[in-house]
Amino acid sequence: MEIGYFPGCTLHASSRLYDVQTKEVLGELGIDLRELEDWNCCGATSASKTDDFLAIALPARNLGIADASGLSEMVIPCSACYSRMLVAQSRMASNEKLKAEINEELSEKVKGDIKIRSILEVMIPKAESGELAEKATKKLKGLKPVCYYGCLQTRFPLDIPVPDDVENPQGMEILLKALGVKALDWSYKTDCCGASAAVNDADTAIRLMSRIFKDAVARGANCFVTTCPMCQLNMDAYQNDVGEACGISERLPVYFITELIGVAMGKPVKELQIDRHFVDAVGLLKELDLI
Amino acid sequence: MTAPVLKFESETAQSFLEEVMSRSGQNIIACYQCRRCAAGCPVGEETGYVTPDRLIRMILFGDREKALSNDLVWKCTSCYTCGTRCPNEIQTARITETLKQMSKEEHIAPLAPKVAAFHHAFLTSTRHLGRLNELEFMGLYEIKNTFKDLWHLNFKSLYNEGISQTKLGLAMTKNKRMHFLIEKVKGLSEIKRLYKKAKKKRDSKEILPDQG
Repeated sequence: MEIGYFPGCTLHASSRLYDVQTKEVLGELGIDLRELEDWNCCGATSASKTDDFLAIALPARNLGIADASGLSEMVIPCSACYSRMLVAQSRMASNEKLKAEINEELSEKVKGDIKIRSILEVMIPKAESGELAEKATKKLKGLKPVCYYGCLQTRFPLDIPVPDDVENPQGMEILLKALGVKALDWSYKTDCCGASAAVNDADTAIRLMSRIFKDAVARGANCFVTTCPMCQLNMDAYQNDVGEACGISERLPVYFITELIGVAMGKPVKELQIDRHFVDAVGLLKELDLI
Repeated sequence: MTAPVLKFESETAQSFLEEVMSRSGQNIIACYQCRRCAAGCPVGEETGYVTPDRLIRMILFGDREKALSNDLVWKCTSCYTCGTRCPNEIQTARITETLKQMSKEEHIAPLAPKVAAFHHAFLTSTRHLGRLNELEFMGLYEIKNTFKDLWHLNFKSLYNEGISQTKLGLAMTKNKRMHFLIEKVKGLSEIKRLYKKAKKKRDSKEILPDQG
């Protein structure tokens, strides 16, 4: 099965490892990815906070390219890109004038046909059909993860139907269960890490991340699992500052869901680029004899 | 901290309310002050007395000056928790986004200059290449910060910013998270046209209704 793939800027830069893992893991599950041609930045929250027109128009160009690709669906692993593309598609579907104004500037016009999928949405059917467990035969014994969804996997500024529970999503738990891992219950799975505040309002972001980190440690987790590159980078790169701020000396690796699935599939650490974390992510896997 | 008594400005209240409602697409008058938004707001502890419900109250009372410039407008992370939990489906994060844009149009100095500089640098880099270049973006952002700090002779801020960004940069390089490849979109002229159209809309103050 071939589907469209929108990596977004982050997966081509600081979270390149997520791009590599996504291709590896989905490929193994029989999902071939065709990267969208000449895609552009979705504008992320910077556009949505400062320019209502660009916030729709930037993702729209990608939607136009996707509609012209002949593919019926497209996977977007980055939560920010996923949410902005969904919002743009929904706004243009209900506002003909806006759609016409944007289409006027585009060589590939937005029709609104492409189905936008999160990385969880494309993998869950594989877990339910048993294919995932068939390919990922290594049981990840000893792993005690908390699943961290963050904001933009389930919450949108418009009323867009969510394919998971908004307050208590289960997508990652379903995938982990197929790998023989039971994720821990906790209270901060959809809380905000502060996103760009980590750079432009650090004190606020550290306080937000501290609450998330404290609960994860208090529950006895030995790692985080996430799908969002922003959450991953923040919880990983700033964990020393966060730990110092709340007086916790433990450090928890912050895995992308694709990393754990990749390990369960027996893929090597180097190939999955698990050695590119800020908080060491290889040590725990070695300690638990998983690699 | 207790909230100051709100003053009702009948002449300006209606037009301000209508503008914010239309631009944000939010039915502000449906708010019955249950404060579920305030209870769930992750930056609620950081924004003094301005919680989402109080921001709505300011708009209803026509307190334009405070509504356009307060900590919630600048610290809101657009996590959309308030709107997801609102029983009347008011997405207050959309309201903070709208107010941020209106305050810029009225040339009100941003309460959090770094936040404003961040988003400006992000969209500048995106316009330049069509994709965000993390190095260019952070460079633009830091240049703006440095000038601001030098102008205000704020050496402490300059020092702290330098230390934290160097630390992050070094850690990113060490962990191979830094990428130096420049990716440029072939259809950049389309991106430029979209930016031009956006600017025209801002300059002509064309309101883009966020409804339906």
